[in-house]
Amino acid sequence: MAETTRRVATDVGGTFTDLVAFETRDDGTIDIVTAKSDTTPPDFETGVLNVLKKGGIAPESVSFMAHGTTVVINALTERKGVKVGLITTEGFRDVLEIARGNRPDFFNLHYVKPAPFVPRHLRAEIPGRMTYQGGERAPLDLSGLPAILEGFRAEGVEAVAVCLLHAYSNTDHEVATLEEIRRLWPEVPVVASHQITREWREYERTNTAVLSAYVQPVAARYLGKLDAGLKSQGLKKSPYIMQSNCGVDSLEATSAVPINMVESGPASGFWGAAELGKLIGEEDILALDIGGTTAKCSLIEDGEVRIMTDYWIERSGISAGYPIMVPVVDLVEIGNGGGSIAWVDDFGKLHVGPQSAGALPGPAAYGKGGTNATTTDANLWLGRINRDYFCGGEVVADMDATETALKAVGKDLGVSTDEAAQGIVRIANNNMVNALKLVSLNRGHDTRDFTLLAFGGGGAMHAVALGQELQVKKVVVPAAASVFSAFGMMMSDLRRDYFVTQLVDLREGAGAGIEAIFGEAEAKARKTFEDEGVDPAEVTFLRYGKFRYQNQEHTTEVLLEGAVTDAALDKIAGDFHEAYEREYTYRLDAPVEMVGIHLVARAEVGKLELKPAELGAPDAGPALKGQREVDYALEGKHQADIYDGDKLAPGMAFTGPAIIEDPGTTIVIHPGNKVEIDAYRNTHINLGEAK
Amino acid sequence: MSNADPITLEIIQNSLQAAADEMFAAMRKTAMSSIIYEVLDMGTGITDAEGRIASSGAGIPAFIGVLDKSVQFILQKHDDIRPGDVFITNDPWHGGVTHLNDLVLAMPVFVEDRIIAWTANIAHNSDVGGMAPGSLSGDATEIFQEGLRLPAVKIIREGETDQAVMDIITTNSRMPDFLKGDVWAAIASVRVGNRRLEGLAAKYGIETFLTAVDHFMDFGERAARVELSKLPHGTFELSEEQDDGRIFNVKVTISDDEFKVDLRDNPDQDTGPTNTSRDGTMICAQMVFKSLTGADTPANEGCFRPLNVLTREGSVFHAREGAAIGFYFETEVRVYDLIWRCLAPHIPERLPAGHFSSICGTFIGGIHPDTGRQYTIIEPQIGGWGAWEGRDGNPCIFSGFHGETYNTPAEISEARNGLFVDRMALNTAPGGEGQFNGGRGLILEYRVRTKSGFLTAGYTRSRIKPWPLEGGEEGSGNFVDVIKADGSEKTYSFVSGLSLTTDDVVRVITSSGAGYGDPKDRDPEAVRADVKNGLITAERAKTVHDVTV
Repeated sequence: MAETTRRVATDVGGTFTDLVAFETRDDGTIDIVTAKSDTTPPDFETGVLNVLKKGGIAPESVSFMAHGTTVVINALTERKGVKVGLITTEGFRDVLEIARGNRPDFFNLHYVKPAPFVPRHLRAEIPGRMTYQGGERAPLDLSGLPAILEGFRAEGVEAVAVCLLHAYSNTDHEVATLEEIRRLWPEVPVVASHQITREWREYERTNTAVLSAYVQPVAARYLGKLDAGLKSQGLKKSPYIMQSNCGVDSLEATSAVPINMVESGPASGFWGAAELGKLIGEEDILALDIGGTTAKCSLIEDGEVRIMTDYWIERSGISAGYPIMVPVVDLVEIGNGGGSIAWVDDFGKLHVGPQSAGALPGPAAYGKGGTNATTTDANLWLGRINRDYFCGGEVVADMDATETALKAVGKDLGVSTDEAAQGIVRIANNNMVNALKLVSLNRGHDTRDFTLLAFGGGGAMHAVALGQELQVKKVVVPAAASVFSAFGMMMSDLRRDYFVTQLVDLREGAGAGIEAIFGEAEAKARKTFEDEGVDPAEVTFLRYGKFRYQNQEHTTEVLLEGAVTDAALDKIAGDFHEAYEREYTYRLDAPVEMVGIHLVARAEVGKLELKPAELGAPDAGPALKGQREVDYALEGKHQADIYDGDKLAPGMAFTGPAIIEDPGTTIVIHPGNKVEIDAYRNTHINLGEAK
Repeated sequence: MSNADPITLEIIQNSLQAAADEMFAAMRKTAMSSIIYEVLDMGTGITDAEGRIASSGAGIPAFIGVLDKSVQFILQKHDDIRPGDVFITNDPWHGGVTHLNDLVLAMPVFVEDRIIAWTANIAHNSDVGGMAPGSLSGDATEIFQEGLRLPAVKIIREGETDQAVMDIITTNSRMPDFLKGDVWAAIASVRVGNRRLEGLAAKYGIETFLTAVDHFMDFGERAARVELSKLPHGTFELSEEQDDGRIFNVKVTISDDEFKVDLRDNPDQDTGPTNTSRDGTMICAQMVFKSLTGADTPANEGCFRPLNVLTREGSVFHAREGAAIGFYFETEVRVYDLIWRCLAPHIPERLPAGHFSSICGTFIGGIHPDTGRQYTIIEPQIGGWGAWEGRDGNPCIFSGFHGETYNTPAEISEARNGLFVDRMALNTAPGGEGQFNGGRGLILEYRVRTKSGFLTAGYTRSRIKPWPLEGGEEGSGNFVDVIKADGSEKTYSFVSGLSLTTDDVVRVITSSGAGYGDPKDRDPEAVRADVKNGLITAERAKTVHDVTV
C-alpha cells in the first residue's frame, strides 16, 4: 500500500468555505480533491470542519495544512473589532484624526472625512522624542502611564496600540512603553508600531497599529478556536496562515499581529500564478482573478510578485480611506465581477459595477428575484455560458428573468437586447483592460512580453478578449481555475517581509552601513524563524534596496545580489538608473540615495511539488460534447465547439471558436485561437496573428 | 455594430479619464519637489484639438480649468506645431493663468499628420527666480520680481530638448536641480498621455475618437443644464468686507440657460501680489458652478458652457499685464468663497456654511542643519469645514481650492527640512458652534534649528471669519504666531521674509469651519461627547449650547 502525503488548503470566504486537497503518492502521482460548503459565522471553524468532512479528509491524516481567511478584513469593514486605546507622542494625539487632509471627491462640498477608529478621549500622549536619525531628543517619561491605563480600563478599552514619533528609526521608546504596559496591565493585548513596520509616515504607521489592535482579539479568538477544533479532530500540526505578502506564517505569529493577513485572499492566487509560471516556463505574467464582485490583477516579473506597503482600505474616488502599512502584494482591484450590475445613468450612458448583485439575489438568471442585469446574465445571453449547464448544472438558468433584465438595459440605451448584452461585456472588458494597463503599461512594461494567466470563477470567460486587446504572448487558464487561490497556498513559503526606513547617500563609504542594516534585519529574521523551530540554515533571503534621486519622494526597488560593499555601489546605482528609466522614460544625472530596505526572508514548509504527465494524442474529439451558437461581440456570432473540461487530457489540441466547460469555469475561445492542454492540464491559448 | 456605437464612445471616454489619471501618477512619482509629489499641487489634463478640456487627472479643482486656456494660447501663438514638440508656459498673459511658479507643459497628439488632442499638466515648482526664495514675496509690486516669465515657448522640438531654453530656466532658479527634475517629470507625464491617445485613435480611428470627445463634452453640458434648471432663479447679490477693509461684490443671476457671475463692481487692481488674472477668476466661478451642478459627473468643457463671468479689466479680479500675482491664490479663494456665500442662504441643501477658506500658504526656508543644504517648505494648510443641516463639518481637510492634496508627515518634514515639528493637533479654540458644529482647524508648530531662516505667509479669513448659516457661530480664524526664542510672541496673517533663528517657533493656526443652526439646539448628547473629547470646555458648552456637563 502506497504512502500518501496529504496537503490541504482551506479558504474561508464571505459565502463559501473552499477546500482543496492534494494527495501525493510515493510514485509522485497526485490526486486533487475539492469541496465547498457554507461559511458559518460567527463560528467559522465549524465551516472548516464541515468542508473537510465533505471532502472526505480526516484531519489526523493531514500532513500540512494552510488556511486563508477574511476574518481581518471583515472585522474592519463591518466595524466588528474591539475598543482601542492609543498611546502616542506628546503633541500628536490628533494625528489619527487629522490624517492627510485630502478630499478625493473634490467638487463635493458634502464630502465626509473617514472617522478615526479611536475617539479623541482614548488617544493619550506621553513625553519623549526621538529624531529621524535615531537619536534621543527628549527622554521618555512613563510617569503618566498608570493613570492613562486606568482611564482606558474605566472606559472598557480591550486593546492598546502604541505609536511614537520616529519609532521606525529607533524603537527604544516604543519597546520601553510596551514593556511597561505589559507590566501594568498584563491581560490587555497591546501592539506597538515597530512590531508591524519600520517605515516612516506617522499617520500611516499610527493607523496601522490602531487597526491591528482593533482586530487582534477577534482574530486571535478565531485562530484559537480553529486550532482547537482541528486538533480535537486529530490534526497534528497547527495550520499555517496565509498572509497578504504571499507567504504563510505560523498560527502563533499571526495571532500576535493579525493585520498582516488583511489581503490574504488575493495574495495566494497571485503567488500561485508566479509558481505556476515557473513550472510552465512563463516567468513574466499578468495575473487576473475575476470573482463575483471584483476583478483583481497583478504583474509578476521574472517569477517574483511585487510586494508593497502602500495599502489602503475603503479608499475610492469618494473617500480617503484608511492606510495599512503592511506588506501586501501589489494589486489593482476594480468593482467588476460576474455579479456586477449593469446600469444606465440619466444621460444614457452604460456602466457595469461597482455595485454587485452578490450571492443573494445574485444575477437575474439565478431566479432568486434579482431584476438587475449582471455581467453573468450578459454572458449567458450571448451563449458564452451554457444555459443548460449553469453553475456546473447546479442551477437552472432563469432565462426569462435574464431577458427581462437585459431588455430593460437595452431600452434605456435605445438598443436591442443582443446589443445591450454585447455592450455589457465590452464595458466590463474595458474596465478590466484599464486595470491591467495600470499594473503593466503604466509601469513601463510591454504587455507583449507577458502571458495572461486568468483564474477565479470569471477569469477565463474574459481572458481571451482582454489578451487580444493587450496583445499578450498568450493566455493560460490553470487547471481548477475556480479554486486556484488554494493552489497558491499550497505553493507558499513561510515568508516575512521586513521594511526599514533609513536614509543613506549612495556614495563611497556607504557600503558598510547598508550591509549593517541588512545584517541586523537578517539576524532578527533568523531568530524569529528559529524560535518557531525552523533551522536558520534553511532561511533564504532576497535583498531589495529602495532608491531615489536625492530630493525625490517615491522610491524604486532594486534587487541587490551579494554583500553590499563600496565596490558594489556603482553597479547598484547603475541598476537603479536602469529600473528608473524603464518605469519613467528618463534618467537624471543626480545623486542617488537609499531610503530604506526591503528584506524578504523565507523558508520552505511542506511545499507541494507537481509532476508533469505524459502528453497524449492531440485529438480532442473525446472531450467534444457538442456545438452551440456563441456571440463574440465584436467578432460576431459563430458556431462554437463545446468541450468538457474534465475530459481534456494533456497533449490535446484544437482551434477556436470553442467553449470549454467544467463545473467551476467556462473558458471562451475566440475564432482562430489555438488551444493546447499541457502536462499539468493547464489550458494554453495562442491568440494567433496580432491584429 | 458600427465602430461609432454608444459603447465604443463610452469606452473611449473612459480611456480619456484613465489616460489623465495615468499622467497624474507618472508625474507624482518622479517629481523632485515635495509640493508636487506630497502636497500634489499639480494637475493633468487632456484637451481636444482646439484646446477644450476633455478630461483631467485628480489633484486640485482649481487647476482643472487652467490647461485648456494654456493650450488655446499656444494654438493662437504658434503656427509651426510639430509632432514631438512640448511647450512650456507660466505667465498669466501668455496662457499660464495662475502665477509664475506654476509651470504648464503641453504636448500636441498627432495622428496621421493632424493634431487630434493635447496632453498637458501644471505643477508648482519650488523656485523660478525672482526677488525672494521660493519666488513668492508679499513685497512684490510687479511680475518681474516674481521670477522668470515663460511665454509659451517650445522646450522640446520634435523630440529633441531645446537645451538653450532648459538652461535658461534652470539657471534662473535658486534650486536648479529640483526644477530640472520637476520639468522632466512633467515631460514624462505628457508623453505617457500622448502614447495612450495615439493608441486610442489608432485602434478606433480618428473620426470615432473625435466623435467620442465631442459627445463627451455635450454630455457634460446636458448634465450641467439638468442641474441648472433645479436651482432657484433670480439675481442674488453680496458685498463682503475683507480682512484689509476692502469690499468685494458679486451678483449672481441664475436663469434657465445661464449662470451669470458679475464681478465688475470691485476694487482696482492692487500694487501688491494678490491680483488675479481674468482666467483665474473664471476658474473660481467654474469651481462653484461645478459643485452646484454635478459634483459627481466628469469635468469637461461642456460642463461650463452655461457659465458667463463678467469682470472689469484693471480690477483685482482682472489684472492688467505686469501686475504682481504671486499670491493670486488667496484672492481666488476669496472670490470662490464670495460666490459660495452669496448663494448659500438660497441653496442651503447644496452649500454648507463657510469653511476656513484660505490657502494659508506657508513658506519657511533656511539651511538644513544636518545636510547643509538649502530647504524650502512651501505648503498650503488644512483647516475646518462648515456644517450643514444634519451634519458637523469635517476637521482638518484642505480648502475648496485644493482637493486630492496631502499634508506633509512630521517625520518626513523633520528629515527633509531639518526642523522640529513640536505639535500637530486639532485647534480647539472657541468658534464654529451650532446645532451642527463646524469642523476643527489645525495647530502645527515648527521649531527652527538653524540661524538665517525666513518665514513668508499669507492667510485671509483672519479678521473677517468663516461665515455661519441659520444662526450658527462663525469660525475661529486663521493666523500664524511666531514665538521667538526669547519668549516674545507675535500674531500675523500676512508676513513676508521674517527672519527666523534657532529655537524660534512658527505656530500655524487654522480656523474651525462655521456652525449651522442655533447652538442651543444641539443635541445635549453630542455636546457631552464634545466635552469628553476635549473639543470644547464645560464652561463654553454652558455658554453657547446651554448644556451643563
